[in-house]
Amino acid sequence: MLVIGLSFLASAQTPPLTVIAREGRKPLPVTSINNQDYIAVDDINAAFATTSREDRLAGGLTMTARGRSIVLTENQNVVSVAGRLVTLPAPPVRRDGRWYVPADFLPRALSSALDVRLDLRRSARLLIVGDLRVPRVVSRVDAGANNVAVTLDITPNTEARVNAQQGRLVVQFDADALDLSIPLVSTQGFVQTIAPGDTPQTVVITLGPRYATHRVTASQPDPASGRVTIDLMPATTDVAPVPAPPSPAPDTRLVIPTQGPSTGLRTVVIDPGHGGDELGTQGPKGTVEKEITLSVARRLRTLIESRLGLKVFLTREDDRTMSLDDRSAFANNHHADVFLSIHANYAVRPALKGAEVYYLTVERADEEARKKAAENATTLPALGGGSRAIDLILWETAQARYLEQSASLAGFIEQSLRPRVEMSPRPVQQLPLRVLVGANMPAALVEIGYLSNTDQETQLGTAAYQDQIALALLDALTKFREFLEH
Amino acid sequence: MSVTPPPPSNRRWAVITLIGCAAVVFAVLLFTGLSRLLSRPAPGTVAADPIAKPTPPAEAPAVPKIKATLYFASEDGLRLVPTEREVPLAEGAVAQARSILEAQLSAEAHAPLMSAIPKGALLRGIFVSQRNEVFVDLDPAIRTAHPGGTMQELMTVYTIVNAVLTNLPNLQEVQILIGGQEADTLAGHVDLRRPLRKNESLIQQ
Repeated sequence: MLVIGLSFLASAQTPPLTVIAREGRKPLPVTSINNQDYIAVDDINAAFATTSREDRLAGGLTMTARGRSIVLTENQNVVSVAGRLVTLPAPPVRRDGRWYVPADFLPRALSSALDVRLDLRRSARLLIVGDLRVPRVVSRVDAGANNVAVTLDITPNTEARVNAQQGRLVVQFDADALDLSIPLVSTQGFVQTIAPGDTPQTVVITLGPRYATHRVTASQPDPASGRVTIDLMPATTDVAPVPAPPSPAPDTRLVIPTQGPSTGLRTVVIDPGHGGDELGTQGPKGTVEKEITLSVARRLRTLIESRLGLKVFLTREDDRTMSLDDRSAFANNHHADVFLSIHANYAVRPALKGAEVYYLTVERADEEARKKAAENATTLPALGGGSRAIDLILWETAQARYLEQSASLAGFIEQSLRPRVEMSPRPVQQLPLRVLVGANMPAALVEIGYLSNTDQETQLGTAAYQDQIALALLDALTKFREFLEH
Repeated sequence: MSVTPPPPSNRRWAVITLIGCAAVVFAVLLFTGLSRLLSRPAPGTVAADPIAKPTPPAEAPAVPKIKATLYFASEDGLRLVPTEREVPLAEGAVAQARSILEAQLSAEAHAPLMSAIPKGALLRGIFVSQRNEVFVDLDPAIRTAHPGGTMQELMTVYTIVNAVLTNLPNLQEVQILIGGQEADTLAGHVDLRRPLRKNESLIQQ
C-alpha cells in the first residue's frame, strides 16, 4: 500500500493508477489518449464489480454500478449518472472495440454511482477508495558539514513515531497507508536508503556507517501539514551529541538549514501556453501547441510535487481560452514564488530547432504610469473578474522588480535544458513578452522546441521528450531554490 | 422687303473663343494646383493619414523612387537582414513611412532570405504623434494569417518596427495597432500595448 510515484517517468508508457482500498491495493491500467489519462471501462468493471452493456445503434454504453445506471455517449463529455448529468473534462472514446473514459470519470461519476468516496491523486497516481487516511509524505535529505537531516513533510498533519531498530530508523505514521515521495538520496555515509517499510504505515531509513545517534524534532510549518525532522549525527566528533532532553533545539537549525521550501520557494505556477480557441502554433503534421504545453505542464507538476514537495498550480487544467492577464493574475493570487510559462515555437525557417528561454525586457519606464501608481493605490486584476487591492504594485511594473531574479531563473533553465535537449542558437533572450509583464514574482517563458521543424514536431509529441523537458525544469527549480536560499 | 440679319462680326467670335480657352486653361490649372496643394501635409503639424490607398501601378513609372532599407529573415531564421530596395518617394515623413511600410509588407524576399510578414498583410493607416511615435495600423487579417510562435511573432513585429525606424531616424518608437485598436499581442506573445523601439540585437550585422 505504500506507493512511490516516481519510477514511471523513465518509461514512455503511461503508468497505471494504484487503487488503495481497505481490502488492499491493485493497479488500474491507464491509456494516454489525446494527452489525457483514460481508463478502459472493462478495467473499471473488473476493479469495482460494475457491469456494462454497449448499444451500438445509439453509439452509447450503459454501466451499472450498485443498481444505478451511468450512460455514456461516444464523443460527448456529458454522462448521465442515475439521471443526473455530470460533465467530464474529455469525452468517452471507443477504440478497437473497447470503451475508455477519462480518469476524472472515477471521482466525478463512478463515485456517486457507487456511493463511495474516490479520491484521485494525480501527482502520485493514486485512487483512494473510501475514507482511508492516506497522508502525503514528502521526504528530503539535507547534508550539513558534519551531519545529515532527514525531513518528512506530512499533509495533512499526522502523528508519527520514530523507533531505532538495528541499523534502521522506522517511522510509523498513524494512517492507513502513505502517499510517499522519496527523492534520490546522497548522504555522506549517514543514510543508505529511505524506503517504504514492511507495513503500509511505515517508512524505513537504513543507516550508514557514520551514523551514531539521532534527534527527532516535530514541528508544524503551516496549519495543514506537519513536519518531522530527524537529525543524524556522527560517532566520532569533538562535540558530543547533545542527548535530547526537552530541548526545543533551536541550535540544530544553526547547522542544518531545514527551513527549505518555507523560505524562498514554496509555490510554483505553471502556465501551459494558449488553450481553447487559441491553438497557438501548429506543426506541418498538425501538432497543436496548446496540447503539448498542457501535457508538459502536467508532467512538470507531478515531478515538482513528488520530488520537491512544493505547491504547484496550473493556470489552466484543461483546454480553455484564457487571457494573458488572467494567467499572471492567477499566479499573483496564488502567491506564487515562480511563474513558468510553457510554449512551443515556430519559425519561417523549417531548419530552425531547439529550446529557448526568455525573460522580460522592459522597453521603457512608463513615467505617467509610475506617477499614477505612486499617487494612489493600484489594484491587480483578480481571477474570476473584478479587481482587488493586493499591493501598491502597478501591473505594468510588477515584473520589473524581479528582473534580476528572472534572469537567474532563465539561466538555470538554460543550464538544465542543455544537457537534455537540443538548444537553439539563441538559447536565452530578453523580450517584451506580454504574459510576463504582470507577474509579481520571478518569471520566465520556456519555448520547448520548434513545431515548424518536422523532426522536432515528432519529438515534441513524445512522452520521452516531454519528460526530459519536465526533468530539466525540475532541475532548474531545484537550483533556483538553492539560489534563493543563499 | 426682306431684312437679312447682320453677319456676325468676326471680332465678337474671336473674343468668345478666347474667353472659352482661358476658362478651360484656368480650370485645369486650378484643379491640378489645388490637388497638389492638398496632397502636401502642412509642415510642423501633426499629420494624419487614416486610410491607406494601394499604390496604383499605373502611376509607378512616373513616381520617383528612393532607396530604403527593408528587413527579411536570415537564412538561419534568427536575424533580420537589412536589404536595400527601391520604394516610391513620397512627400513628408508620414507619407514616406507609409510608402516604405507598404513596400515592406508586400515585398518578396530574394532567396535565401524570407519575408517574416504573413502573406496578405495590409496597412490600414499610419500616423505620427507629436512625440514622434509612429502608430502603424494593420488590417486584422494579419492575425489569422500569422502562424504564431514567439520567434515568428518577434520577427514579424520587428520587421515592421525596424523598417520604419531605420529609414526615418527622426522617429523614435512604433506602436502597432490592429484594426484601428490597441492590441495586446499579434499572436499571444510580444507585448504590443506600448510603442516599441528599434531592435538592434535582431539585426544581422
